[in-house]
Amino acid sequence: MLDGMLLGLETAFTFQNLFFAALGCFIGTIIGMLPGLGPMSVVAIMIPVSLQIGDPSTTLILLAGVYYGAIFGGSTSSILINAPGEAAVVATAFDGYPMARKGQAGKALTIAAISSFSGGTIGVVLLMLFAPALANFAILFWSAEYFALMLLGLSAVSAFAGKGKVLKAVMMTLLGLMLATVGESSLFHAPRFTLGIMDLQSGINFVTLAMGLFAVPEAFFLAIDKIRSKKSSSKESQEISNLRINLKEAKAIAPVIVRQSIQGFLIGVMPGTGATIASFLGYAVERNLASPEEREEFGKGSIKGLAAPETANNAASTGSFVPLLTLGIPGSGTTAVLLGAFIALNLQPGPQLLQERPEVFWSVIMSMYFGNIVLLVLNLPLVPYIARLLAIPRSYLIPFVLFFAMAGAYIGQNNSTELLLLLGFGVLAIILRFADYPLPPLLIGFVLGQMFEDNLGRAMRNANGIEFIWERPMTLTLILTAAVFILVPILRDWLANKRK
Amino acid sequence: MLDLNRAVALALLGFSSGYGYLAYFYHLLPFEKFLSVRPNTMPIGLAIAGIICSLVILIQPQVPEVEGDGTVNRPDAEYLQNPQNYNWGQGIGLLLLAVVYTLSLRGAGFLFSTSAFLVLGGILLGERRYTFLIPISITASVLVWYLVDQVLTVYLRPWPGWVYY
Repeated sequence: MLDGMLLGLETAFTFQNLFFAALGCFIGTIIGMLPGLGPMSVVAIMIPVSLQIGDPSTTLILLAGVYYGAIFGGSTSSILINAPGEAAVVATAFDGYPMARKGQAGKALTIAAISSFSGGTIGVVLLMLFAPALANFAILFWSAEYFALMLLGLSAVSAFAGKGKVLKAVMMTLLGLMLATVGESSLFHAPRFTLGIMDLQSGINFVTLAMGLFAVPEAFFLAIDKIRSKKSSSKESQEISNLRINLKEAKAIAPVIVRQSIQGFLIGVMPGTGATIASFLGYAVERNLASPEEREEFGKGSIKGLAAPETANNAASTGSFVPLLTLGIPGSGTTAVLLGAFIALNLQPGPQLLQERPEVFWSVIMSMYFGNIVLLVLNLPLVPYIARLLAIPRSYLIPFVLFFAMAGAYIGQNNSTELLLLLGFGVLAIILRFADYPLPPLLIGFVLGQMFEDNLGRAMRNANGIEFIWERPMTLTLILTAAVFILVPILRDWLANKRK
Repeated sequence: MLDLNRAVALALLGFSSGYGYLAYFYHLLPFEKFLSVRPNTMPIGLAIAGIICSLVILIQPQVPEVEGDGTVNRPDAEYLQNPQNYNWGQGIGLLLLAVVYTLSLRGAGFLFSTSAFLVLGGILLGERRYTFLIPISITASVLVWYLVDQVLTVYLRPWPGWVYY
């Protein structure tokens, strides 16, 4: 393995490759900030350009840079304007945006950058050490286990339920699951619940729902509340761009980063699960592990609540390379696009890649490591300037927030119905916020809904019933874990009430 | 009393019931009737769970908005308790402007409608320095269009529908 690493280092560590890694990170960060253009779209868009380079290693290094840059760019719009343009960064907004509203945008972006770097880097180390063994483990997962894993992801909603709100969180999850059944599914090809509207045949677009639920209400509340959106004083502007994290904060997030790097990586290894479930579960696990005082801070600007999903989604993104590189199976949408790039470069990922083209295999792994370092070095100095976006006067900021949210849903679709739906979801979200219904569970239900139904359907068809639940030990273990996730907060609330 | 919290629960009960009705009477294809999992299996389950959940929310005691120790349980309730402190006209006006923007995108094209939306949005929120507002809005519209359409080659109709492009 050491020889391989040296070979990868030798290939990747040239001026040309470092330049392309930095260029990729920069382009990915800028484009990734636009809601609606997540890592998968950005990498897909960059493939034709990158293929012009010719050299396979350099091409893959550029694409890895774009990939990591786009993930960080998505986190930036989540933190600054509460506009998560991609499912994997939804959980980042839960605590990142409240931090930004408290005038700690610089600190939030720094924590996001460091967590992303750490999650990605630890993920690469785990990838180097355990890739072949984990690939064999991942293929043991069948639809029954995937269904149970989705259930575990859905159980994360308990983390978003405040006092006495568990039922409301469950109701919102059910609403999200119902919305996910609109349109065609891969299991049943006839469209459902479209009410005769042609534009709903392919279902509701994730970006449309996410922007409607988060960005539109935020623009509305900023518009009606002059105090909340007042122009920052010079002292506050300095605080916004302040990157400093003190020793106490660093000590608090260090164990979170280690735990979520490992957990996120392992979830990312399972084909088809990826960064979204990893980020939601990471958030839920850390909230459950936190002390009662720290738990109260979750959702209001907790640094642990920000570090957990950011670490987990990056580690999972790295983990999704395990099945791609070792088995030739793409573990996520982005790696499916990257598989296309491999094929275009006349490379066949899979068991033979390490034997036949070791320099490519190791240079891809090394380029992921470089991508992480370059991203940190490039973006940390930019954080104060990016954070200052929040100091823009409200008469400019609010229309631009709304415009970017709407552009995210419109780009690539050229369909006004998407925008009307987005505004409709926005009005719904405003009413739900007034009535104190938590919105994150709705989006979690929607994101996981389709996969949940598909895997449940396949598992039931294979077993001709629901016997798979108790016949497969891994499925049963995951379902019981999900039950613990749901029941622990309810019991904790009940015990607290009893003590009072 | 039917407060907003319960009114929303009632609306969700209605939605779940309507969804359940559509799911139950979903037109199954002949072969689908013999499958262990049908297209309406999960929707019917979701509808039943939604009806039960919304009913429980409707009848259970409400959590107080502010606890005795000062803990705020409903952070957005303040907007409705003291509505006179907030500028509702600007918020609702902005949403209506967004609807007009949506409807004008096809007819007026991306560049014109986006520039107009940003300029009118700024004016609605109190900006009167037109010499800043108009150039910034037009520049932003052109930059986004150029990045998306020309650099990323994702088609975005710049001009009104009747102009050949």
